[in-house]
Amino acid sequence: MEQELQVLWVAVTAYVFAGVVAVVGVVLGKRPERSVLALMLAGLALQTLSIGLRWDRLGHGPFITMFEILCSNVWSLMTAYTLVYWRIPRIRASAAIVMPLMFIMLGWLMVAHPGEGHYPPTYNTPWLYIHIGLGKVFLGAVLVAVGLSCVILLRHAGIGLQRLAQLPASAQLDELAFRCMAIGLIFHTLMLIAGAIWAQDAWGRYWAWDPLETWAFITWLTVAFTIHARLAYRLSPPVHAGLVLAVFVTAFLTFFGVPFISATPHQGAV
Amino acid sequence: MDGAVKRNGLAQAASGQARTDSGDPTERSSAGVGLVRRLASLRLTLALIVLLGVGVAFAYLREGARTWPLVVPLILLAINLMAAVMTNGVFRRQTALLVFHLALVVLLLLVAAGRLTYLNGYVGVTEDVPFEGELSESDRGPLHAGALSGVRFVNRGFHIDYAPGLQREATRNQVAWQGSDGRWHDELIGDQKPLVVSGYRFYTTFNKGFAPTFRWRDTHGYVVRGSVQLPPYPLKEYSQAAEWSPPGSTLSIWVLLDIDEIILDPAEHTSFRLPEHYKLVVRIGRERHEMHPGDSLQTADGTLEFEGLRNWMGYRVFYDWTLPWLLAACAVAVVSLAAHFWRKFTARPWDA
Ligand code: HEM
Repeated sequence: MEQELQVLWVAVTAYVFAGVVAVVGVVLGKRPERSVLALMLAGLALQTLSIGLRWDRLGHGPFITMFEILCSNVWSLMTAYTLVYWRIPRIRASAAIVMPLMFIMLGWLMVAHPGEGHYPPTYNTPWLYIHIGLGKVFLGAVLVAVGLSCVILLRHAGIGLQRLAQLPASAQLDELAFRCMAIGLIFHTLMLIAGAIWAQDAWGRYWAWDPLETWAFITWLTVAFTIHARLAYRLSPPVHAGLVLAVFVTAFLTFFGVPFISATPHQGAV
Repeated sequence: MDGAVKRNGLAQAASGQARTDSGDPTERSSAGVGLVRRLASLRLTLALIVLLGVGVAFAYLREGARTWPLVVPLILLAINLMAAVMTNGVFRRQTALLVFHLALVVLLLLVAAGRLTYLNGYVGVTEDVPFEGELSESDRGPLHAGALSGVRFVNRGFHIDYAPGLQREATRNQVAWQGSDGRWHDELIGDQKPLVVSGYRFYTTFNKGFAPTFRWRDTHGYVVRGSVQLPPYPLKEYSQAAEWSPPGSTLSIWVLLDIDEIILDPAEHTSFRLPEHYKLVVRIGRERHEMHPGDSLQTADGTLEFEGLRNWMGYRVFYDWTLPWLLAACAVAVVSLAAHFWRKFTARPWDA
């Protein structure tokens, strides 16, 4: 346990450095992109190692305790964002917003208890990985949309106009954020379907409005609402950005709030 | 170009503009078209999505009111969507988008059909005592028309291991079931795998326990066998008692299983098993007896012989013929949604 935690703290440190360098870069109008990418990749590699060590020790993946769920989500969100950072160089400055957002989860992870939990028999199925994996892609897509939306909102509020000038125009960021939401909708839909198949196998019902199912459905509705609102009212980028943040908040509560306040068997392991 | 055409189509639908040329002989049908256009409004869609969200929250908070808060917005959304399909040019130009939205409607219809014909139930089945189509609890849709009474299966025993701390691991339940041709088949079911017979799905649950089994011979010499399922074990470890009447008798027999050993030691890796050291306390009226396997007891109504203990397993029973169709509709919805966005996004880069 000691070793896997030590490796994890080094990974967290790498992420924090990546974030700090990204923020300082934007503030000073510099582009330390290679350093940020290298630090994010180093953090990911170390965190993968830490998760692997724990997986090997416990014989199951990071799906049970709050610590594990936070840890695996930090990993998947960082993977999603690092991929985008690498593939879409024009929006790299958004790291100055996304990484500080990640700090919240990193802080939470550091105070979560790393003890082990019980692995229920209903988790012995490939649907666990499919369901959870799809949910992680959804959250990753929304995180990127949130980063872009924050840039739009900051600009709209007249904050850091010059420093954010290296990013594309708001209309373009808005389009990219919309595309992230579209990808998010596809993966959220797939997650719900996979979850329903799993629930049917494990509990003999595909849908029962348990707290997690209810909240996940409401999240799905918020995405459908955002996409339709953008069409119906031809929303300006800042308004669309506000809706993207609302989706993120709902999704965040669904993924990290509901499973830990409800006492139903569907504890959620995303 | 395409964008401009699309916007026009949308703007019309969104504002619900109706063409009301009053001199037209087809005035009524034109008013009809106007109404459909109004119903097709995308702004209405937004309002209805919000309404559905409120309905979901309401249904969640009030379990008793699960139907109307969901059904009303869903019907309105379906009407809104069908009106849009009829009048909004976007759907004619974008087949994948059309297929996606139609798949949503099909899903809705299937869920409705499922709710009208489903069955949900529960039954405990004692080892080697055939299930004969009777459930101990059930609720069903008003149009449920399955052939549950013809379903036959036998619980042939199960195996469940426990990790320290009484943490239940995999459930493996051997069953035999009768096919429609009358032949019997063996199958192993468990956590992720139900028994499916005539569309009824039997899922093992964490409810299981012990069932004292008796032979009852009434005063006419008629012999029947019966068993009484005690409360679930280890969930109700300290209240292993139940009341029972032999089949065809009005005699009320109270039985209590007094176990003299630790069956599932929380400190060890163990398996669920029948107790070996126990006595069965039987109370009939004011008389109290202790019985061991093979013991008999004479009452005014007949003779009760205690044969021994067996296991019982609680099954959740579920019937919904729409399941494969729901899955198919979901697959169509997701594939067409992905196709729609793929086409849309590959046509133009985001930073064009
Ligand atoms: C509640 C479930 C619904 C979901 C998840 C959903 C989802 C979507 C999606 C993903 C698009 C594509 C957006 C784009 O291409 O930019 C779309 C477009 C559209 N939806 Fe829905 N929809 C739903 C219900 C409805 C309903 C009830 C209507 C009825 C009016 C409707 C009408 C439309 C129209 C007209 C478009 C075309 C917009 C365009 O591409 O210009 N949708 N919807």
